[in-house]
Amino acid sequence: MSMITVRDLRKAFGSDSVLEGVTFSVEKGETVAVIGPSGAGKSTMLRCLINLESADSGEIRIEDQPLLDNGKYPDEKARRKICSKMGMVFQNFNLFPHLTVLQNLVLPPVNAKKYTRPQAEEKACALLKKVGLEGKEQSRPSELSGGQKQRVAIARALMMEPDVLLFDEPTSALDPQLTGEVLAVIRELAREHMTMIVVTHEMGFAREAADKVLFMGDHVIIEEGTPEEIFYHPKDPRITEFVSKIL
Amino acid sequence: MEALQQFWDGLVSQLSYLGKLGINMLPGLQYTVGLFAVTVLLSIPLGLCLALLRNSRIRVVKGLTGFYVWIMRGTPLLLQLFFFYYGLTFIPVVGPYLTMGRFQAACVTFVLNYAAYFCEIFRGGILSVESGQYEAAQVLGFTKWQTNLKIVFPQMLKVSLPSVSNECITLVKDTALITAIGVTEILYFAKSAVNRDVDVSAYAIAAIIYLIMTYGLTKLFNWLEKKFHY
Ligand SMILES: Nc1ncnc2c1ncn2[C@@H]1O[C@H](COP(=O)(O)OP(=O)(O)O)[C@@H](O)[C@H]1O
Ligand SMILES: [Mg+2]
Repeated sequence: MSMITVRDLRKAFGSDSVLEGVTFSVEKGETVAVIGPSGAGKSTMLRCLINLESADSGEIRIEDQPLLDNGKYPDEKARRKICSKMGMVFQNFNLFPHLTVLQNLVLPPVNAKKYTRPQAEEKACALLKKVGLEGKEQSRPSELSGGQKQRVAIARALMMEPDVLLFDEPTSALDPQLTGEVLAVIRELAREHMTMIVVTHEMGFAREAADKVLFMGDHVIIEEGTPEEIFYHPKDPRITEFVSKIL
Repeated sequence: MEALQQFWDGLVSQLSYLGKLGINMLPGLQYTVGLFAVTVLLSIPLGLCLALLRNSRIRVVKGLTGFYVWIMRGTPLLLQLFFFYYGLTFIPVVGPYLTMGRFQAACVTFVLNYAAYFCEIFRGGILSVESGQYEAAQVLGFTKWQTNLKIVFPQMLKVSLPSVSNECITLVKDTALITAIGVTEILYFAKSAVNRDVDVSAYAIAAIIYLIMTYGLTKLFNWLEKKFHY
């Protein structure tokens, strides 16, 4: 059973077709990197997976549960249940600015009645330690650097114990010298066999940390393969051109 | 020596007159403060509800609240006061049931009027919350209500606080309007004293009472704004 199965996913904004039949699957424990030019539809594809956008047609199965079945969505309750298995990390962090770092982590699982507050606090402290932010519990997001904010965002997503984590360009809003600390956390998760889909422009990361690379261009997945195949033996000339430009 | 004594006696009698005026006005304070408190306590939650309806995706709801806000902000508060106190009675059939006491009519008018202003303030505050906040809340499993209560409202409050502060200070001064429908609030007493004694001092005393209240409010809101700063 695949963790995520996407088949013939289509989505248009008005007359603007953004996904024109996207098909792929992600196995449990896999780290999948999604690369490709800007405007290809990478974000839209990711947002469809977690129900931040509604697709027009196709099929999305999360751990064999249908989020989208033949172009039809189940009711809101079912969608919430299916999507609760996934977490997402955004380009712009989207931390809650009025809450402290600790509150950012504690609120979601307490809301969802997943943990009591003391349990959640204990878990939050352990996760903050894991992402290297011990001692920042009482800071406000505005007091943190971009790299620290993104690490808090990753810890916050992990609080809900997702089976899958989606990353939409997690380092694109960061100063170049801060991308390393964030990528190190994602690499660590990859080593622990967290199932992840990472949309990224960090080719080094995609090449070294990903089990599988999807190249997305012109609203479809043009090619999928191991990092070796995509970066050194691509079949499609568009990939050769993209990779040579960005490296 | 004689002149100094005279001056001294004059000053003492003037001061005791002013003191007496102030004390005589105190019963008026209950209506001024009462109207202020009722309006703040009811129009802020009502304004918040209206703001949610005003941002609703349902067109009719959005339109109706917009219309309500337009009427309430587009007509004089004094006119609305007259309408609710003197006017409602004359509505056919239901009129007699809608008749209210002076202070009751004042409260209803102020709550409905101020709710419209708070609605617009809060609506702006809600719109200033980035879409990313809603998205983060959704993927973290928040329900719509949890999102509003724990993410949107606190952020809205920070943005809205300076305008809310302004509105509350205006409200203190607007309470004086209800003297026009004969509620015996501060200005009512001041006006009677001026007419009775042919002495303008009572207006000065009333002004000082209003100033004390608005000063206190300004301080309170400054403190709140500091507390909400992040
Ligand atoms: N909410 C939206 N409304 C209209 N068009 C959108 C919206 N979101 C994305 N698009 C369009 O969809 C296309 C793909 O966008 P996106 O998925 O963000 O690509 P990528 O992440 O690969 O850069 C772009 O042309 C973009 O302008
Ligand atoms: Mg994107």
